[in-house]
Amino acid sequence: MQTATEAPASFRSSALRPGPLGLIREAVGEILRRQRLIRHLMNAEVKRKGADTVLGNVWWVLDPVIQMGAYLILLTVIFQRATPDFPLFLFAAILPWKWFASSMSGAVNAVVRQERLIKQVQFPKIVLPVSALAAEVLSFFFGVLLLLAVLFLMFPAHATINVLWLPVIAAVQLTFTLGLALMVSAVNVFYRDLGILTGHLIRLWFFLSPTLWSFDSTVGRFDAIARALGPTGLAILRYNPFAILLTAYREVTYGQVDVAGTGFTPGQAPDLVLLGMLFLVSLGMVLLGTIIFKRLEPAFAKVL
Amino acid sequence: MGQDTTRPRDYAIEARGVGVRYSLRFTKKTSIRRTFARLLHPERGERSFWALRELSFRLDPGESLGVIGPNGAGKSTLLQVLAGIIQPSEGVVEVHGHVSTLLHLQAGFDQDLSGRGNIHLAGALLGIDHRLMEEREESIVEFADIGAFIDAPLRTYSSGMRAKLGFSIATAVDPDILLLDEVLQTGDEAFREKSQQRIREVLTAAKAVVLVSHDMSWITDFCNRAILLEKGRIVADGPPEEVVALHVEKSENRRSVRRAVMEDMRTGKVAPKRRRSIIEAATKGPSRVEVAGSGEVAGTSEAPPQGETAGASEAPPRGESHP
Repeated sequence: MQTATEAPASFRSSALRPGPLGLIREAVGEILRRQRLIRHLMNAEVKRKGADTVLGNVWWVLDPVIQMGAYLILLTVIFQRATPDFPLFLFAAILPWKWFASSMSGAVNAVVRQERLIKQVQFPKIVLPVSALAAEVLSFFFGVLLLLAVLFLMFPAHATINVLWLPVIAAVQLTFTLGLALMVSAVNVFYRDLGILTGHLIRLWFFLSPTLWSFDSTVGRFDAIARALGPTGLAILRYNPFAILLTAYREVTYGQVDVAGTGFTPGQAPDLVLLGMLFLVSLGMVLLGTIIFKRLEPAFAKVL
Repeated sequence: MGQDTTRPRDYAIEARGVGVRYSLRFTKKTSIRRTFARLLHPERGERSFWALRELSFRLDPGESLGVIGPNGAGKSTLLQVLAGIIQPSEGVVEVHGHVSTLLHLQAGFDQDLSGRGNIHLAGALLGIDHRLMEEREESIVEFADIGAFIDAPLRTYSSGMRAKLGFSIATAVDPDILLLDEVLQTGDEAFREKSQQRIREVLTAAKAVVLVSHDMSWITDFCNRAILLEKGRIVADGPPEEVVALHVEKSENRRSVRRAVMEDMRTGKVAPKRRRSIIEAATKGPSRVEVAGSGEVAGTSEAPPQGETAGASEAPPRGESHP
């Protein structure tokens, strides 16, 4: 009768749910089959964000720039920090952080916000967090273009071939974010506290991650910090996923600050072993997130 | 769910022993604090109620089923189950054919997209081919008849315009099975006439139709079968005229008993707390509310809506939206 192939023509619905592997298979199938729906939802999301502002989607690029400007003033004028080429140093880390933070705040409400939709049409709910993340990928992409422009036009001394690692690092970050996003978007349906909590945790995470500082630029004072934290604290600080990610972003664009803190070595390859391990952990989180999401999915329409 | 079972069947919908249980532990206002409170006082927790229970029926192609019943009887829940939106807690539902389910016509989809944007979003949601949707776009726009608003964001729409657009989309996609909730809410007089005509067309084209309405004339005009739901169970199933007559009689009955009890309360013959049980006994509905432990959910805080006897405990946590 019609060419609809994306939604099943017939279904059988009962309380029986497949096991973890079945759930993952189901989720992958749903995402592949409903790509058009994901695109539509992503467009709606992009429109929504740009709709009420004069500058619209220009804010994608302006937003991280202004944030960087604010920290630049705070740190150079008030705290008298003298890291060489500080704007690039900051921007290289703030941009991916911004991507993560807005992805998470979008994902937390991705399911809850579509209450109307969920209660009137049957569709795989997993497309909601996925499309929320997809919209953020788009704005990060434009941010990266700006980062590259800043790097090559304003700070060419830092630029090396190693910027080609950027997509690899971004892929690891996306995987990590997807796992977390699936979990929080589903659990937030049942515990709205999570939405509030997430905002605060992300802010704390920001200061504990090398955005405004880096492991090498604190050299000199780092011994004192290391002593204060103890070995466990230091390990947590160093192997925090965003310590790995942001350090990698900064290494391939800015490079490294000298031990003296006055010079720099230009862009270099990231620590691939650490990135690889983080990727494996992230992959595990995606699988776990998918199972959690699919397990909770049948209850969404009842609870919302 | 989701598996394709495309073997030819001679029925459109079959429900076998379907029950839907709502857990009252998770409602919109769940917070971690309340969960901890419940862990500490388990005897107060674990509340649930059955919105539908032991529901079995079969809908053959060509049938259009009207679903009637008092508020909170489970009509909307039934439609959600048939649409696959809610999965049954027990029993099995089998649906053969593409379902068009714009259940709350007033709601719309995305508030920031234009009417046109929503048409395409609906197409993507229902899994309808992009080209087909492009083809249908103009006829949907024309039928909805909301003028320049079609290019304005949905949040600027009046509820009438939303309903018109929703109805136009729901009926334009050539569903095998059409599920409609509260059709009578659809717009003004002129549009209502147009939509009646459209429903007739869909009725002849679609394999099956399930219609929930409080407007009994819709049931008798458009359906060739009706079921009466009370407290989540089917209490009557048959020709629309008879079922409607039974429903009208029953709700008349309930109303008069209620009026009498209220009168007695006013004159002091009956203590207010006994009111519910008297009405309950007089109208003899099957019991479906299972509330372990007592609490404010099963309490008496809400006055039951008209034609409703079992009271506030029947309102599902998400709230059935019968305006």
